[in-house]
Amino acid sequence: MSKTRWLVLLAGFLGCWSAASAQDVVLIANKGVQISEIKDADLHAIFMGEKTRFADGSHAVPVTLKGGAVHEVFLKNHLGESPGDFRAQWRKAVFTGQGAMPRAFDSESALIEYVAATPGALGYVSRISPHDNVKSLAAIK
Amino acid sequence: MARRMPLLFLVCISASSLYAQDLAGIEIHGFVTQGFLFSSNNNYLTMKSSDGSVQWTDGAVSVSDSLTDKLRVGIQLHMYQLGDLGGSNVLIDWASGDYRFNDHFGIRAGKVKTPLGLFNDSQDVDAVFLWILLPQGAYPIDNKSFYLSHLGGEVYGDLTLGRRAGKLQYRGYAGYNNLDLNGGYLEQSAEYGLVFTSPPGGKTYGGDLRWDTPLRGLTIGSSADVLAVDGTAPGGSVHAPPFLISAQYAQFTKGKFYFAGEYHRDPFYAILTVGPAAIPLSYDERSWFAMGSYRLLKKFQVGSYYSHYVNKALDTTQPANYSKDWVISGRYDFNPYFYGKIEGHFLHGTGLGYYTDTNPNGLKPNSSMLAAKIGFSF
Repeated sequence: MSKTRWLVLLAGFLGCWSAASAQDVVLIANKGVQISEIKDADLHAIFMGEKTRFADGSHAVPVTLKGGAVHEVFLKNHLGESPGDFRAQWRKAVFTGQGAMPRAFDSESALIEYVAATPGALGYVSRISPHDNVKSLAAIK
Repeated sequence: MARRMPLLFLVCISASSLYAQDLAGIEIHGFVTQGFLFSSNNNYLTMKSSDGSVQWTDGAVSVSDSLTDKLRVGIQLHMYQLGDLGGSNVLIDWASGDYRFNDHFGIRAGKVKTPLGLFNDSQDVDAVFLWILLPQGAYPIDNKSFYLSHLGGEVYGDLTLGRRAGKLQYRGYAGYNNLDLNGGYLEQSAEYGLVFTSPPGGKTYGGDLRWDTPLRGLTIGSSADVLAVDGTAPGGSVHAPPFLISAQYAQFTKGKFYFAGEYHRDPFYAILTVGPAAIPLSYDERSWFAMGSYRLLKKFQVGSYYSHYVNKALDTTQPANYSKDWVISGRYDFNPYFYGKIEGHFLHGTGLGYYTDTNPNGLKPNSSMLAAKIGFSF
């Protein structure tokens, strides 16, 4: 096999690996959060503003990414919402005085930094993002 | 219009710096929309719509802050121009303190939005809807500021019924409500020669109960709102004893599909006194709608609805006492902040949205309309 063909195969493999990894979402929380797993139904309720507390009664502070593949995968797989519907529901809450939109971040690193520093914070990042300073939560269907 | 265009332009070019400002916990959001309406035959909603009209602008800014985990305060200022209605006055849309004891019980006090049916409390938030005009039998845009909110308080909360029974959401409220001096009802009373300088109003109370059923995406609910209106003008008065507006509704969302239906009943009796003359106004308004939409592409959504309204207190064969509207709509989201909408209406009857001042030569029973809107929300 020629060197060029090897390089093309390698690039293709790396591309697929990178895309798959970027869409492999992990839930993260502040290290002070006592729970280690969370149901998708509770995630949905917390991220849609219907619940303000974790199952153990402690205050939850949901945070999101402003957009991108990880954001879309999280909304689809864990909340069952499209970005448009998620945005519309929060706009409705904000403009009717019934809720405050979750803080949104441009980058995963900024989100991780905020979660690490904020008691009760709950968010998500791609599995390949370094997130040693926060806690990972298991999602239960 | 010349006054409003610079505002719209300024907001649009400032978009990059306006994205949902969050200043140390203070959240600032806003929206602005510009509409266009063209109609055959009659002039609609006090606009010269048969010539094509752009007298249709909405804008709001909200500021809120979470003072503690449980306490949030905020205010939303709103301005609208709809033909001759609205104007340069800035209205307080809502301004409230919200204390949420837990997920099952919270209270709001101040000027709070009034829940009634699926859309009443959000009917002014254009950005969340596919539709340019909501079904007018249930949500008349010329009188939205009257129904939208009230001064007082409400209790609210969620009750989880278990995995197999879904969830209940409840809201109950009481307070005081008044008519908008620049709204549709007082525009109509002015046509009788009764011009109010202070807004008529009265006590209001009611509630909304909605059940998120175990079938994911299906919500069923019911609302009731009791209102009364009294007011005095230099040349007369208006008196409407307490009356009950009720609504039953259902909506279902699955994937890219959305369906909803609602039934409203609004029977009321009022007396307008103009000088020595007492003019009785009798209504038994019944309306319903059925709607559906589909998201064709990530940024493009289409839909249709049928809205039906009759005033059963009068002769329902007369076009002035009914309004039946077939609607088709499309919406394109250019990005998360900018969107455009287009909508066609095939309207039979003249029971809603028409005013004598803008139709001095009378009304034809049917009209077709084309509406378009662009909006920006952050």
